[in-house]
Amino acid sequence: MKLHSRLIDAATHAGLLLFALFLVFPLIWMIGTSFKPTTEIYSGVVSVIPEAPSLDHYRTIFQEQSIFTSMLNSFYVGIASTVIAILIALPGSYALARYSTRWNKIILGWVLGSQIFPVILVMIPLYILLRSMMLTDSLLGLTLVYVVWALPFVLWMLQGYVHSIPVEIEEAASIDGASRMQVIFRIVAPLLLPAVGASVLFAFVSAWNEFFFALVLMKDPGLMTVQVELARFTGMEGQARTGPLAAASVLATVPSVILFGFLQKWFSSGLLAGAVKN
Amino acid sequence: MNPARRIGVVSVVAIVLVTAAYVIGSRQNSGEPVHARLRFVSLAWQERALAVNRAIVAEWNAAHPEMPVEYVQGTWNSVHDYLITSFETGDVPDVFHYESSVIIDFAMRGFLTDLGPMIDAEMKDDILDVAWASVRQPDGSVAGVPFLMESLIGLYNADYMSRAGIVSPTLNDPWSWDDLRDAAKRMTLDTSGDGTIDRWGAAIGLRNCANIMMNLSIGFGGSFFRKENDRYVVRVGDEERKLLTTIYDMIHKDRSTSPTSIGQSGPAMIPGFFQGKYAMMVGIGAWSRQQLVENAPKGFHWGVIPPILAKTQEAGTSAQTLSIPVASKRKSEAMAFIRFMLSRENMARLAQSDWMLPARRSCLETPEFRDPATGWDITTASAKFLTTGTWMGAPGYVEWKSRVANPVFQEYFSGRLSIDEVAVRIEEESNTVLGRYQERAR
Repeated sequence: MKLHSRLIDAATHAGLLLFALFLVFPLIWMIGTSFKPTTEIYSGVVSVIPEAPSLDHYRTIFQEQSIFTSMLNSFYVGIASTVIAILIALPGSYALARYSTRWNKIILGWVLGSQIFPVILVMIPLYILLRSMMLTDSLLGLTLVYVVWALPFVLWMLQGYVHSIPVEIEEAASIDGASRMQVIFRIVAPLLLPAVGASVLFAFVSAWNEFFFALVLMKDPGLMTVQVELARFTGMEGQARTGPLAAASVLATVPSVILFGFLQKWFSSGLLAGAVKN
Repeated sequence: MNPARRIGVVSVVAIVLVTAAYVIGSRQNSGEPVHARLRFVSLAWQERALAVNRAIVAEWNAAHPEMPVEYVQGTWNSVHDYLITSFETGDVPDVFHYESSVIIDFAMRGFLTDLGPMIDAEMKDDILDVAWASVRQPDGSVAGVPFLMESLIGLYNADYMSRAGIVSPTLNDPWSWDDLRDAAKRMTLDTSGDGTIDRWGAAIGLRNCANIMMNLSIGFGGSFFRKENDRYVVRVGDEERKLLTTIYDMIHKDRSTSPTSIGQSGPAMIPGFFQGKYAMMVGIGAWSRQQLVENAPKGFHWGVIPPILAKTQEAGTSAQTLSIPVASKRKSEAMAFIRFMLSRENMARLAQSDWMLPARRSCLETPEFRDPATGWDITTASAKFLTTGTWMGAPGYVEWKSRVANPVFQEYFSGRLSIDEVAVRIEEESNTVLGRYQERAR
């Protein structure tokens, strides 16, 4: 029996390792390509490690494009939209989960329904609306768009999580004399951290990776975001400047990876284990 | 820090960020007036082409400080959506770079300024007639100024040719399609003798091949698009079928053309050409010579195949263009910039940097466009065979190409359709798409 369970354990780990390799391989390939000279990329030799590593592509992206400015712009709108979306969604999700009214279903239906509209459908009315408020070609305008775009999903995710927190915990806190606000901020908010972490990651990454709104709303080259900047290394008929594109993509990946590293501890499960006696 | 305080800190940070974003985001509103600069959206993306475009804009700005141009680098993949939203909202660039087959459609929808009356005689006379034909609407108005001409060429590995005892084609003695087939068969090799082909005689990027099929079918007399009763219709007759069946036979009967061609674009096959997997590449853009000059392995010898002779050596072309939207508030300044950007000297710089044919006759006559070492000699000489297809100006052509022609041709080359089925499907589906556009135009 022991041998059998060990075998299953080993097979599970091997499977997970293979899956992790499968997931991480494109990233490794991209990093390798970013250090390969162009002639090596075109040689067609399949190798992850460059034969003659070079920093030429990194030099090119800094000389040719405003990659740092665009990353800063993306970072800015990403962080701002994430924080605002979370601040709106936290009390909103609590209200949706805890106060049952006839509007709840309608609101949640609208939240889900809003996700089915294709971007292109809302683009022109949205542009005209933002222009009337002088918010086109503005990081604030783009931030607001990203807040609106991320909010439904974040709200949906958080309210689902609030539902899963036993109401008995809040009742116990109330019996001990906690006010409603104390219950929300001292009891519920800490328990929501894993969900907030996931929501932060979702909102930030979706803002960081967004292309079309940034392309259309931002006209000033100094306000371009990183995804628009990355697209500039691609050309017609599926051509691309593979080396500089890989180098720029490596840099563009870094903030998301760092953010994930910071948030990882929030994802720890079991916060609620044993909280109530069933 | 307790949760309440943490949330408070986060709120303060959010307020600071939003305020700063507003200050940064609205900075251009507080300075110079909006559109004080002419906005120029360019699609140059190769390193040298970018440098030349930026240099020309810098020269203009130095010479015209009262009328500065803001250079905005667009991208080929997104420029269509970018322009459509710009046209619909009225917040347009003053000058934009695109291609003739698309701008004709924009012009028909009323988005573009007729540049005809604004173009001076020198430019009008010097630019090739075929280039003007590609940007002229049926009513004679001009949708843009053409400056780079697309042309399809063939490339060969010179060492494989000589080893196979094949004499390279020349401008005076071009190949027919039968010659090409024969050469491809002779250079296809199974070096290990295991029944697997190790080197293919030819490769043709067929992933989105409508462009290649349409442009090269002209040499066979094929036109696809015809006008019947004042409406565009698509017909696939004998002439239109000839190139399709020739390439199909090269893949499936001769087994001299790599079947991986079906799923790949021309640029994606260049590494295979360098590695010796393919002896020739057919129907690839003239710009591909840049990759050969800059990135080919040492000792790689190559040459350009002159336009292949079918009934004629003619091939279709389209032009890259500069246009001015109707909504631009500074049309005459925008036109002055186009005149500067596309002067004889600057057009030659742009064409050299992008490895494409310049639209001006005077540029084509200069020695830099005659260099045999970089294939310019044959590429430039092929300009006289360029012509515009009958599809130029057909409403809905762009959608037709991507929704009908590309998938049907690909199914044919994969062996899932017969040539008769191709003809039926192309005609039926095409006329549905085109009909929709033509109804709207009426």
